[in-house]
Amino acid sequence: MTMTDSPPATETASAAPSPAVAGLYESLTTTDHKRIGRIWLQSGVLLLVGALVLGVLLGIERLDADSTDIFGGDNAYFQIWALYRIALALLVAAPLFIGLATIVVPMQVGSTNIAFPRAALSAVWGFLIGAGIMIAAVLANGGWGAVDRASGDERDAVALTLVGMGMVVLSLLLASLCIATTVISMRVKGMTLLRTPLFAWSMLVACAVWMLTLPVLLANLLVAYVDLHNGPGTFGGGLSGDLSIYGQIAWIVEQPQVYAFAIPVLGILGSIVPVAAGVRGARHGLSLGLIGFFGLLSVGAWAQPYFQETNDALVRYDEKFVYIAFGIAAIFPVLGAIGGAADSVFRGRDRVAGLPPAHLLGALGGGVLLLAGTAAGVARVIQPLDLGDRVSVAGVMNLVLFAAIASAIAGLWFWAPKIGGHELSPMLGRMVVADIVLGAVLLGGAQFINGFFLTANNPLVAPTEDAADVLNLVSLLGMALIALGALGLLASLAKAMRSGETGADDPWSGHTLEWATATPPPAGNFAEPPALVTSESPLLDISPDEAADEGEES
Amino acid sequence: MTTTTTALPSAEITRPRTVLVGTMFGSGAAFMAFLGVVLVYVSERASARSADAEWFPDGTIELGPSGFIFSTLILSIFTVQWAVQAINNNDRTNALVALALSGLFGASVFNQLWFIMNDTGFSLAETNGQFMFFVVLGTFVAFMIVAVGFIALTFVRAFIGQFGPRKADSVAAAAFYWNTVVAMYAIAWYVIFVTK
Repeated sequence: MTMTDSPPATETASAAPSPAVAGLYESLTTTDHKRIGRIWLQSGVLLLVGALVLGVLLGIERLDADSTDIFGGDNAYFQIWALYRIALALLVAAPLFIGLATIVVPMQVGSTNIAFPRAALSAVWGFLIGAGIMIAAVLANGGWGAVDRASGDERDAVALTLVGMGMVVLSLLLASLCIATTVISMRVKGMTLLRTPLFAWSMLVACAVWMLTLPVLLANLLVAYVDLHNGPGTFGGGLSGDLSIYGQIAWIVEQPQVYAFAIPVLGILGSIVPVAAGVRGARHGLSLGLIGFFGLLSVGAWAQPYFQETNDALVRYDEKFVYIAFGIAAIFPVLGAIGGAADSVFRGRDRVAGLPPAHLLGALGGGVLLLAGTAAGVARVIQPLDLGDRVSVAGVMNLVLFAAIASAIAGLWFWAPKIGGHELSPMLGRMVVADIVLGAVLLGGAQFINGFFLTANNPLVAPTEDAADVLNLVSLLGMALIALGALGLLASLAKAMRSGETGADDPWSGHTLEWATATPPPAGNFAEPPALVTSESPLLDISPDEAADEGEES
Repeated sequence: MTTTTTALPSAEITRPRTVLVGTMFGSGAAFMAFLGVVLVYVSERASARSADAEWFPDGTIELGPSGFIFSTLILSIFTVQWAVQAINNNDRTNALVALALSGLFGASVFNQLWFIMNDTGFSLAETNGQFMFFVVLGTFVAFMIVAVGFIALTFVRAFIGQFGPRKADSVAAAAFYWNTVVAMYAIAWYVIFVTK
């Protein structure tokens, strides 16, 4: 049997002597998508905490732009600054969604396992090894080039950073391939693509966009790596230029590409809000279309300096009509999705009255943050405002990526019984989500406004206006608030793991097939094959009498 | 909605064409990676030309040998499709011959590319043009190695009898990836050897 074949999902029996070794052995050999997904989620949460520590340090450093005391020099400051941005997208947002999808999507589509489970397992371990190499190489004075044009001993560390990043990207691609294939070819009978649950659909769109764009990032890394070792030194490998290799690959965290990491925000919004409101989601086909349209607009691999001819007479790529049109159009599908969520909340207003559950708060917060991010993106592409080289770019990035993180956390609370078998604390959940959403508004909002005070995107250029210092302080407060929320997240997860209390099978009266399984889901997910699917909300199609009968039987 | 799903029969959980769908996604990703490298080549070449700088020395890039590679790869499209057809017809002998021929064509592509790379006398660190020449063709070689490996694996699996008319997806998947790699070469051939 080759790697491409999916064996029946069975828990591998452990012969290891101690629980810790047995756990590691299971994690290294399992083909159960739920365990693989949990490794992704644990990695994403821990890396989120790490990225936020860097974010707070960078915020403190930015308060005093005249000296770089914390990091011990301009090069190190620049390297950590770049690491924070790359990490937030590739090591936090994407893995959190992949983790959620690896667990939830197979159950949502009625499958017994993910497609190519061994490839999915390879992806998560490849990701962890790649992330470790990348972070270690940056800390060893590597990163994505030096800003002092005095590269020397650190060339090997720079090369190692590129290798680690390449491994991370390859692993994300492999995981995306498994998820997309699951949605395309492992749906239960009756579930046409038009009846696919919104989260599964949004992951299909996101994975497709990642598979179209992240390989271009790999191509960038390849060119820079070869240039670094044997090339003429003009493709970033010479480590020269204002931002060196980072300047070539920064498109990955700038619009429109940064939106690609937030595509599942719309899927989570459309999956959670109707359930929380107790109503069937309206206009499912339109929601699918809006998510697809947002995915189309987030394909941004073309908007990068490598594809820009170096001729001063030419229009820059970010001044071209397509770039501006993409930037402006991106807000419309987000508005449409939020309109759909508002409609659900309105129809189910009796049920959502009072203190909203954490998952509803997170889904709505993520949607609002994404709306703010795309609105800031509209201002970014309006040429007379001239925000292209200003810190507003970071504002857009932070709003969009924290929208993704808030939504992923909402998903964690919502699908917690299916992820770990436990429900998470609702009170802590509200606190975590509120901290992150409020913190992201302060952080991203202040950075966006700071651009109007001529503050540069490059962290080594000191701000010229007094107002910039105040806004930098607000940004730091926002980052600290997000970090507090992340600590709450860790506390919630630790509390749930210690409780030992098994969650209910369907605590929210869900609409899709993952709620038809037991908690925790058994190996193979379904004790019996799911019934033939006839709509996008199959569990709502069960008549009340039958639902009552099933309840009595259980 | 009045229909009740519980009154309906249980749905089958199937794995239709999983390997083929996965290969299509993987091939798409591989194609985009290759396109990413080619686009760097194109934009750098445009920059060099707009600055009146030399891209390749005159007479170093010849169309003949690269055309032979293209002809070989076009022939290989027929042989991989022959393999798919043979497996669908449960004709294992024909499938094995077709797969072996495809692998042979792939090996001859490596040989011809090695000749071209040596024949130009280019150096990786010399100019942007020569650097990108090696990066584009080197990336193609990497994807071609995967394609030949995929064909070899398919050959072995066909040899031990893992495929048949109802289980031909892996052969179709190998053929799909192979054709994607041929498309990559078509682009490289046009960009490097035709328009230089």
